[in-house]
Amino acid sequence: MLLREVEYAKPASVADALATLAEHDGARALAGGQTLINVMKARAASPDVLVDLNGLAELKGIDLAADGTLTIGAMTTYAELIRSAEARARPILGEVCATIADVQVRNRGTLGGNVCANDPTNHLPPLMCAVGAELTIASAAGERTVPAADFFLGVYMTAVGPGELLTRITIPAGKRDGFAAVTLGVDGTCIVNAAASVNGGVRVALGCVDAVPVLVEAASPEEVADAVERAALRPPSDVHASSEYRAHLAQVLATRAAREAAART
Amino acid sequence: MTEATLAPAPGEVVVPSKKWQGQNVPRKEDKRLTQGEGVFVDDIKRHGMGYVHFVRSPYAHAHITSVDVSKAEEIRGVYGTITGEEVAALTDPFFQLSTPPGAHLKDYALAVGKVRYVGEPVVAVVAETRELARDASELVDVDYEPLPALVDARRARDESAPVLHEDSGSNLMWEGVYEWGDVDAAFAEADKVVKIKELHFHRFNSTPLECDGALVEFNRGVGQWTIYTNNQFPGFAQIMMGPAMRTGLDKLRFVTQDIGGGFGNKITSHPQLVVCCLLARKLNRPIQWTEWRTDFHLSMSHGNERWFLDTEVAVRSDGTLLGFRTKALDDAGAWLRYEPLGGVIWAQVTPGVYRWRNIRLEFTQVATNKAPCSPNRGYSRMQHLWFTERMLDIVAHELGLDPVEVRKRNYIKADEMPYETPNGCIYDSGDYAKMLDVALDLIGWDALEARREDARSRGRLLGLGIGSTLDSGTNNFGQSRLINPELQFSGNNEVATVKLDIFGEVVVTLGTTPQGQGHETTAAQVVADILGCSIDDVHVRAGHDSYWNSHAGFSGTYASQFAVTGLSAVKGATEMLAEQITKLGSVILGGVPEDALELADGTVRIKENPEAALPFMACGAIINANNAGLPEDLDVTLNCRYVYRPPFQVPDVERKYGNLTLTYAAQVHAAVVEIDPETGHYEIVDYAAVDDCGVRIHPQIVEGQVMGATAQALGAAMHEAFEYDDEGNLLTPNFYDYHVPHALDVPPLETGYIETASPFTPLGTKGMGEGGGAGIHSVCAAIQDALRGHGDAIVYDSWNPYKRVWELLEHPERARSLVEVVGA
Amino acid sequence: MDVAVTVNGVEYERDVEPRKLLIHFIRDDLDLTGSHIGCDTGNCGACSMIVDGLLVKSCMLLAVQADGATIETVEGLAEDGKLTALQQAFSDHHALQCGYCTPGMLMSATALLRENPSPSEREIRKALQGNLCRCTGYWNIFEAVKAAAK
Repeated sequence: MLLREVEYAKPASVADALATLAEHDGARALAGGQTLINVMKARAASPDVLVDLNGLAELKGIDLAADGTLTIGAMTTYAELIRSAEARARPILGEVCATIADVQVRNRGTLGGNVCANDPTNHLPPLMCAVGAELTIASAAGERTVPAADFFLGVYMTAVGPGELLTRITIPAGKRDGFAAVTLGVDGTCIVNAAASVNGGVRVALGCVDAVPVLVEAASPEEVADAVERAALRPPSDVHASSEYRAHLAQVLATRAAREAAART
Repeated sequence: MTEATLAPAPGEVVVPSKKWQGQNVPRKEDKRLTQGEGVFVDDIKRHGMGYVHFVRSPYAHAHITSVDVSKAEEIRGVYGTITGEEVAALTDPFFQLSTPPGAHLKDYALAVGKVRYVGEPVVAVVAETRELARDASELVDVDYEPLPALVDARRARDESAPVLHEDSGSNLMWEGVYEWGDVDAAFAEADKVVKIKELHFHRFNSTPLECDGALVEFNRGVGQWTIYTNNQFPGFAQIMMGPAMRTGLDKLRFVTQDIGGGFGNKITSHPQLVVCCLLARKLNRPIQWTEWRTDFHLSMSHGNERWFLDTEVAVRSDGTLLGFRTKALDDAGAWLRYEPLGGVIWAQVTPGVYRWRNIRLEFTQVATNKAPCSPNRGYSRMQHLWFTERMLDIVAHELGLDPVEVRKRNYIKADEMPYETPNGCIYDSGDYAKMLDVALDLIGWDALEARREDARSRGRLLGLGIGSTLDSGTNNFGQSRLINPELQFSGNNEVATVKLDIFGEVVVTLGTTPQGQGHETTAAQVVADILGCSIDDVHVRAGHDSYWNSHAGFSGTYASQFAVTGLSAVKGATEMLAEQITKLGSVILGGVPEDALELADGTVRIKENPEAALPFMACGAIINANNAGLPEDLDVTLNCRYVYRPPFQVPDVERKYGNLTLTYAAQVHAAVVEIDPETGHYEIVDYAAVDDCGVRIHPQIVEGQVMGATAQALGAAMHEAFEYDDEGNLLTPNFYDYHVPHALDVPPLETGYIETASPFTPLGTKGMGEGGGAGIHSVCAAIQDALRGHGDAIVYDSWNPYKRVWELLEHPERARSLVEVVGA
Repeated sequence: MDVAVTVNGVEYERDVEPRKLLIHFIRDDLDLTGSHIGCDTGNCGACSMIVDGLLVKSCMLLAVQADGATIETVEGLAEDGKLTALQQAFSDHHALQCGYCTPGMLMSATALLRENPSPSEREIRKALQGNLCRCTGYWNIFEAVKAAAK
């Protein structure tokens, strides 16, 4: 409950933030804090310097291009996304964000924070994979863009390296998406989740079953279960679910997400 | 009733004129609580106070080979520390309620020589700020030599099991055999015997939102500790702490005001309180302790985890229950902090709500490397009542009978009340069949089959389950002698004082420690009715303070008793005061006979001539400040203290027979669940709760307790569990993994009630509040009902998260292998 | 570090460690003990307050992050002891028992009613999802919010 000593920096720009991050090995970006502060309370991780990204206008904003591409600032909160008229261009985004945690968390927590935390039970990593998002990472050297499928590297580990920051998430146009989850209580932490997108074939990203989202593809929703079977999942066991149960849920939820996606027009 | 009955003679229930009682008056507590002006223990500050942080064991079982606090103590701002070794030198082990071998264990306020559960406090560090105390605790060096951990109670008596307490030499903490009626004859007579190999009631508790805490001051000049805390049973804490600390009980002043929920879980904080007391004396400064959520989950008051093994139920083919045999194995965790009282407290409700007379229960309690168990809402009765409902539902299931019909066939009938159970407990009143009818009506039982069909069309399995339960209230502490005949406890008590101050203010003090039950309000209702004044003119002091001398050995708020013990004490004290006011009025109003007087409108006045009135203010002034000339023999102080003592006898220890509780509130619940068979996920789609707690002083408060107990039970049934891994690590140490129901989780709820007054209490009230876990019983029954025809699994565990329901669907043979029906 | 905040209309300025949580700052430094702490993982909502117009859990904000902010806590609801309609409704409908979750619950309900003056029960449940209560089971809280909304 009580944090270790930490220094606090409030950069005035992304460039400032990057410089501070690069300067200190033990510096961490502070986004919404809805994950990081809890980690620090438990003293599971104790950065030396917190670089507070709140207030950086460069990391805010949702832009809808003429071709339907959405560009979302990494520090966009769930609440801002849910309220955004532009974001309705890809309805699954707001629908899923509305099921994350609660009002208080959604007022502070950010999309960028969710994907960078890459907790295996998070909603957005599989969703980003399913919709084919691209993630833009900035460093002192410039910018690079990483497709979602390559962004998530391990538990709590992403392609964002030391001295780097996720600045925006770019999502292509589309509406035929689905999401299914079994959660701990209504709209709670995910026990297993699945995000699906239909674009010709079906792409499904499974969450909670491995360190990073697991992608499967199938020609149709009815073939998704087999595709999941072939993925030979070996999900973790914990107090909420055995490995066997998670694997089973993955099949069922993948199929449901795929059907939901296919049913949309 | 036969034999030398230990039942009190049914008394005349005198209910004072009910202007205030029975009404939903606004709660006095609300004004401060809605404005954030309550005083909870963590709100209290003292100049120079030091914050405590406990260094806790990372191992479930280990020798402590060395403790070094020197690095921590060097830090600027760290005020000091205390270790187990110091505690062992300064205090004696806590008094043990058990018999040998359990009684031989040595329980100190900090771990001495060994740790026995993850999270056990080992060292305490005190510093200038909370954060610094936490930092310094990381510099305390404790070396451990890990030992194998014992996590499964069923293995505790194995040859190879690690022994927790060398002084006991065994993990057996207590055992006893209970048998009444003629069990062999019942089995001989039975048409069928339903055998159930294993039933398991899981480990959880009520996780009050406020955790434990204290601020302790030591007055060195008089050797007096003042303990601001939220402990809900100061009487018990004092009895445990005084002898351990080698000090008189009056030197331990307990002060509580607002408490953020208790539910029994704030009874056994005495070890941490002892540490705070020792630190306050050692460091010569006030000591502040805040227990964090994780600390609470790791170490405080887990509810009893209980196995029911090799159960056999003797039945007739028509579903008449004749008797049962079982072996109850209770997992007490690492220490006996209120245990082994759980080993007898279940016997308050031996037959549940049913009429069977032939019962054998072998009770064994063992220690394991888990957090110590102590009372949790429904303490020990809930486990037994769940077991009873499971037996009935499984019998109905296996015999193809309707669980509603089987209940009605076996319920104790209203016209059999007061009813003496096989072990001599007296159920005061009740009408369970009527409550079941109300519950079925509320849940829409008639439409059940149509709903089942509708659910089926949506790919869901629908089930209806009933849970009948009792909330036995007002303990006879003499039952502790059934655990240990040497114990010198019996009966019960509660204290209240009511006085008129100089200006006629009516001031009430209680011995209780309310945690939301509205004692200030309900006490005022009783007082106002007796004194004939407005409820707004009755001031009930908030909370508890030993300095008020308004408490006795059993004072506190626990075990569903306030409406009986607390309010009866209030009634007694107020009646004394009323009598004294009348006496004084008689003198002052010119020698008018007392029976010509009445109390009304805040005065004592002549019935026939209400203008001749003496206001309370005048009464108070005369006695307190203007008493010259009063008759020498006028025994009026206007400061009345009353000790309510329920009519109990010491139970027959030999036969384990006697009345163990004064009142028996009841609840009958009905749950409708819908299961998604593809995932095991399920929802409670409808819920009804019917209660009977006798006369209701404040119906809204009563209903609030019923609702709260329901929500907690549903949380326990579906999500909440203190689960451990094989190494003794708690897998649900905080609210992230231990899911407590929130606003989206609770089902639609209908409530109903009946009122069968208790013939045994001065106000006709029965204690209520704990509830009896009916929500767990009904959800288990509903799941089992939904699975009929889909594998026919029986529900064998009180904890049914989605993974379990899926398991029951996928592998029903595992559950089915637990049950067997044999012709007699 | 210096932190200047306005809480319930009153200005405060203190020097705090960066690691201090906002809830501890409010309770321990400013002696506003109406907001409570019920957990250590940001789940219970007892610490809920309104910061710059947004409902947040103050245990997941550092005090230094609130520098310059306008904060509303339970102590700021009633005016001169006159309860708001919401507070009165809580009492009328027995939507509180021990009162520990109540301050946070009131702030969440206040935030809801500002944004949505006539919420449905479903909307009320969703808005209060982040505030745990162990005493009431929530049903009376829903009724209180509905009553205050009228």
